[in-house]
Amino acid sequence: MNALVVLLTLPLGGALAAVAFPAGVARGAALAAAAGTVAAALAVASEVAAGAPPRIALGGWPPPLGIALAADGLSAALLVTTAAVMAAVLLAARHTMAAGLAGPRIAFGFWPLALMLWAALNAVFVSRDLFNLYVGIELLSLAAVGLVAIGGKPEALAAAMRYMLFALAGSLLYLAGVALIYAAHGALDIDLLASRRPSGTDALALALMTAGLTAKTALFPFHVWLPPAHAGAPAPASAMLSALVPKASFVILLRLWTEALPDEASPAALTLIGALGVAAVVWGSLGALAQSRVKLIVAYSTVAQIGYLFAVFPLLPLAQAAWSGVIFLALSHALAKAAMFLAVGQWMAAAGGDRLEELRGLAQAMPMSAFAFALAAVTLAGLPPSGGFLGKYMVMTAAFTAGQWVWALPMALGGLLAAAYLYRPLAALFAREGASVAAPSRARQAVPLALAGGGIALGLASAEPLALLANGQPPIQAVVR
Amino acid sequence: MTLWVGPLLPLAALVWPLLIGAAAALPGVRDRAMRLLWLAPLPALWLALAGESAATLAPDLLLGVTLGLDPGRRLLLGMTAALWIVAGLAAQPMAERPRAAIFAGFWCLTLSGNLAVFLAQDVVTFYVAFAAVSLAAWFLVVHERTDAALAAGRVYIVVALAGEVCLLVGLLIGAHAAGATAIAEVRAALGTSPGGPLAVALLTIGFGIKAGLVPLHVWLPLAHPAAPVPASAVLSGAIVKAGLAGMLLFLPEGAAGPALIALGLAGAYGAALWALTQRNPKTVLAYSTVSQMGLILMLVGAGGAAREAAPYVALHHGLAKGALFLLVGAMLAAGSRRQRAACLALAAVAAASVAGAPLSGGALAKAAVKSELPAALAQALSLSSVTTTLALGWFLHRLARTGGAHRSALPLALPAVLTALAFAAPWALWQDWTGRAPVYALAPDALRAALWPVAAGGLGALILLRFPLPEKPPGDLLTLPLRWRRATPRWPELPARAIDAAKLAAALRNAVARGERALLRRQASAALLPLLALALFGLLAGRF
Amino acid sequence: MTVPLPVLLLLTSLVPAAVTFFLPQEAHRLRNALSLGGALLKVALIVAMLFAVAGGASYEAGLTPAPGLMLLLRIDALALLFVSLSAILWLLTTIYAIAYFGTKPQLSRFFGFFSLCVAATTGIALSGSLFTFFIFFELLTLSTWPLVAHKQDAPSLAAGRRYLLYAMPCSAALLWAIVWLESATGPVIFAAPTDFGTLAPNAQRAIFALLIVGMGMKAAIVPLHGWLPAAMAAPAPVSALLHAVAVVKAGAFGVIRVVHDVFGMDRMSELGLGLPLAALASVTILWGSVRALGQREIKKRLAYSTVSQVSYIVLGISLIGPFAVIGGLAHLIHQGLMKITLFFCAGIYDERAGVKRIEGLDGLGPRMPWTSTCFSLGALGMIGLPPMAGFVSKIYLGLGGLQSGAPWVLAVLAASTLLNAAYFLPLLYRLWFREPAPEVQGDERAPALVAPTVVAALGALGVGALAAAPVSPLAWATLLAERAWLP
Repeated sequence: MNALVVLLTLPLGGALAAVAFPAGVARGAALAAAAGTVAAALAVASEVAAGAPPRIALGGWPPPLGIALAADGLSAALLVTTAAVMAAVLLAARHTMAAGLAGPRIAFGFWPLALMLWAALNAVFVSRDLFNLYVGIELLSLAAVGLVAIGGKPEALAAAMRYMLFALAGSLLYLAGVALIYAAHGALDIDLLASRRPSGTDALALALMTAGLTAKTALFPFHVWLPPAHAGAPAPASAMLSALVPKASFVILLRLWTEALPDEASPAALTLIGALGVAAVVWGSLGALAQSRVKLIVAYSTVAQIGYLFAVFPLLPLAQAAWSGVIFLALSHALAKAAMFLAVGQWMAAAGGDRLEELRGLAQAMPMSAFAFALAAVTLAGLPPSGGFLGKYMVMTAAFTAGQWVWALPMALGGLLAAAYLYRPLAALFAREGASVAAPSRARQAVPLALAGGGIALGLASAEPLALLANGQPPIQAVVR
Repeated sequence: MTLWVGPLLPLAALVWPLLIGAAAALPGVRDRAMRLLWLAPLPALWLALAGESAATLAPDLLLGVTLGLDPGRRLLLGMTAALWIVAGLAAQPMAERPRAAIFAGFWCLTLSGNLAVFLAQDVVTFYVAFAAVSLAAWFLVVHERTDAALAAGRVYIVVALAGEVCLLVGLLIGAHAAGATAIAEVRAALGTSPGGPLAVALLTIGFGIKAGLVPLHVWLPLAHPAAPVPASAVLSGAIVKAGLAGMLLFLPEGAAGPALIALGLAGAYGAALWALTQRNPKTVLAYSTVSQMGLILMLVGAGGAAREAAPYVALHHGLAKGALFLLVGAMLAAGSRRQRAACLALAAVAAASVAGAPLSGGALAKAAVKSELPAALAQALSLSSVTTTLALGWFLHRLARTGGAHRSALPLALPAVLTALAFAAPWALWQDWTGRAPVYALAPDALRAALWPVAAGGLGALILLRFPLPEKPPGDLLTLPLRWRRATPRWPELPARAIDAAKLAAALRNAVARGERALLRRQASAALLPLLALALFGLLAGRF
Repeated sequence: MTVPLPVLLLLTSLVPAAVTFFLPQEAHRLRNALSLGGALLKVALIVAMLFAVAGGASYEAGLTPAPGLMLLLRIDALALLFVSLSAILWLLTTIYAIAYFGTKPQLSRFFGFFSLCVAATTGIALSGSLFTFFIFFELLTLSTWPLVAHKQDAPSLAAGRRYLLYAMPCSAALLWAIVWLESATGPVIFAAPTDFGTLAPNAQRAIFALLIVGMGMKAAIVPLHGWLPAAMAAPAPVSALLHAVAVVKAGAFGVIRVVHDVFGMDRMSELGLGLPLAALASVTILWGSVRALGQREIKKRLAYSTVSQVSYIVLGISLIGPFAVIGGLAHLIHQGLMKITLFFCAGIYDERAGVKRIEGLDGLGPRMPWTSTCFSLGALGMIGLPPMAGFVSKIYLGLGGLQSGAPWVLAVLAASTLLNAAYFLPLLYRLWFREPAPEVQGDERAPALVAPTVVAALGALGVGALAAAPVSPLAWATLLAERAWLP
């Protein structure tokens, strides 16, 4: 069976099994499905790396009649990163999402929702069809909203509600855009659209789809749903929500602007998106600075980091390095942010809360997870030798080679702001006084550490990921005036 | 690595004292270190007598050390070595006193520096030597650790460091101008290069400080008396000559001449007269040193043959002044009336030599240079004998009133040897240095010329004993209304500190909360969504 | 598989770092053996390379993960100058630190970051390209912070915060400059002349200024020096490392690389960049000294002294003339030896006599003669008195100033000498001449603390007294200058 198919079906099957079987069996089935999915992701990546990117047309029909699934370098990189994050999250959840600890409701709901989320993510990463992508992110939103609400507390439900409103609004706009495209071209396949004859409605379609996807990605000023939602969910859920979910809608945007409709892009529109990205960097960072709960700090940090991704847009048509740079930023953010939320989850379980003063001195009891947080902070602040640094460096280089050094500013400034807002939890963690708390075992602390280490390793061993990304990298196209 | 090239003796003359000094730190030697001091200058004395003229190189040491001798410096080297030997012997009774090992160590370091000043042939070695003699001597000054000694030490170190800095800058300018470090080339370059005058001024200050040039002499009357007697002897007799050697080595012929003449004469007369206001015999001697050095520096300023003969004059002064300081020590130790009388008599002989009484070494020294000076300066030189006699007469008077300690052994032999040398050495070297027969100095004219100022001065001294001048503190110019003010400066705090971090954080929290509320209000961001779509559409469709 | 020498050199401290992090606190013997073994191995490697590099050899290792990104390690003469300083002083500091900390808590963390810090310094020394340099430069920032904040009390944390507060923006400036520069020139390789291409002169100047801001923060150039005196809250071995081996030196070394290899002497004079930098260095020299005068804490006084002394290096480099460069490069080593001596001594006074403020030094000399003698030697060297190392630097800097047509340098040196004397001599006076306070008890029955101190002091004495010897730092600096100026 094709690995692409496994990527979609196995997590879904696991989700079904988790619902159908009693708790003990369900967890085992879920973990088995997870292991299989990880293997499939690696298989896809190795195929792409070998120069034979897998591609299938569902039902045997080639587009536009059928729907194509295909993996390129970008998909492979995202698939592997997602697999790593999901594996870590599920490993961590084995303990924390057990019925005894988290209550039966969470213990029942978490596994199917997480696996469904994974399936949706994989679907988005390998789909080449705009409607199929729509289905993917709808599924994703459903699972994500479910995960936010899973705790059942009133605030969590309110946050989930708000999240759903934004997600729905975004979906509607996106769907409208898809409809316009289909009406004009009779095709939704990305590769076909790339060679379409331009039509008058393409601009409107792109505008609608972009606006919709920015709402789902939580770009400023549509980020307001994100902090309460991410902070309100249980820690492993937050890890997925923050690290992976925004990447799905972002990847669709990236494909739209660089692969499907690059000729539609206009400098002013790109600048508008970039400006929103810069605003997100600043506002998210200030928000993180203002918080006194670690989870909120980390959530606002996501707002800021998403801003980075959009601040690169104006450079995409101008310099090759911008594209790989922004993907590096996305990948390293995924690894680092998941590590942070998992670490925070362990602290909350130990200290009973996530206020900064409650965390003072925790590094003594939990040196490994504290160190994981520190390493993740290095990545988020874009300090070498992390992958975050490399992404930032590539984007800055792109900005200068494109003669648009303004877009290097948010990179430099954002790093400083990140260092500032991440310093506070770090200083609290490493303070001398320390309450004696029951620390999780070293093996469990090693999970976030491994993820954070991955964020660093992405920078240290950047040659392989870069080579992988080069498969199917869209060529830069000068903007048509 | 090459240890040295050329004759070993010059290098050995410098290293040997250092070895003795280092040995003083060893536990076994510590108690006996004082007894070894007289051994330290022996190789140097040998070198001076043997007159080695070939250059010695120690290429790896410092920045490459070159050592050698010329006739003038050979004379000073010999005098210095002799004086240090005698003073080292005179220091032996200090062996039982506390901190003897420290004294011995720095004694040797100072000695090595003092000798190296006369041997150095390159700028860097010279500077190192000068710094060693200057700074190590501080420990000799403060050895007693009395309040007076420490206060004198403070003045000494400040002035000495300032001198070092002046020297360093001057020497660097010289070395740069010459493009070489050999002293002879540097001197030549200083005469011609544009930076020359500045360097000459700085060097004059640096050397002048050491040589007691007015008005840079202020440390000298404080420091020399504060040191133990043997140290005073070498300070006044030998160490001040380092400054002289520096001037002779580095100042081009005629450079800074008028200044040196004017300041030298001012010192020669002024210091001698100010000495009359002092009560401590050692202070009187210190002022006498300033006065005599003033004369010698005047010779340097005059240039020509007079300058050439300056080491000859310095030789005599070093030996005689060393003898006088040791005699103060002898007087302090003298018990009986007879011993005191012998002491005073010897002091009178040495003083007469300094004043230039006929047939003395001092008279020869003056005779040697007088004919080389312009008439006015020659007259001034003669007249200075009057004030010198006055000052030394006053010294004898003060010495006579110095209390004794009733010790049995009276170390009169050592000052006696120095006094004898002060008389004999100028005679022995007369022909070599002046090119004239010894008879010249015995001529009646010469005797008369030497006699009258001493007689006049002696008369004045007798009057002074009846009507002494009021006492003034030593250090003359320093006691002018100059006050050191000690204050720790307060610096403004950084503005970052001034900002209240807590307030800032609160403001930020409020702003963020307000902003987020505004975005949520009436689903503002839901309204913004279509707006964004519209804006994007406009920009895309318009292809801006 | 053969590991290239530069990588091997890096591994001698990276491997101990990586292993030490995971050692339990109680594994004292293993931890010490790791640290010492790494340090010794590194020294041995360097000695082995010394003569080959003197003969003109160089070693290289590199990889290019992406077009435009080049990680390049290269051992040339300049790299070896710095790496041998850091290796030798690291060895001394390790011995000292092991004795200093004894069995205090959190040692695995400490020695882990300690080794990491030295690995970063080694990386900085060996960097063959600007990008590589930056990577290690940042690694140094990150690995030093836990050392500065090691005690975890309020002053240490505040010091750590201040350190980051200075470091982060300045490294952003550095990154900005590097990206700007490399986007125009391609990767900047130190061994090859940089082709500035079409970059406008003013853009070049701006890049230079940003680079200097980035490097200058670590080199504690005024006004970016504020973190250094605050960082004295760290334990003594860290201070020694900070001031003599790693951070401050890395900054100075960076300035050397920028002036010497990125811009090159010709371009420096063409763009008129030397004079402003020299002026900045001079201001730093004087300002550091003036501030040192007012400090009553020993380590703080020493810290301001570092501010002043490190800019001697910058001054020498910025004067763009053979003599000045020789002086600056030699001072890199000289200052390291002298300052590490002083900080070792300050640590011993604190540890063995409980003395932190200069008032406490009264009469300690006779009680702690070895320490105090070393301290005195270091202090005299800082003043620049012969035959200590500082003297040699000063001679060359002064001559260099004249040679480069900047005679005002002499005035700066003169003023700095006097100021140095003004803030060091009172300390010596207290040590040796004051009566000891009755409550102060001091002894030096800690050979592992005293021995490295004595070795460092002898080193500071030796490199000055034997400056002209064929293997002295001065000789090495001269070799470098000759290669730069003689074709």
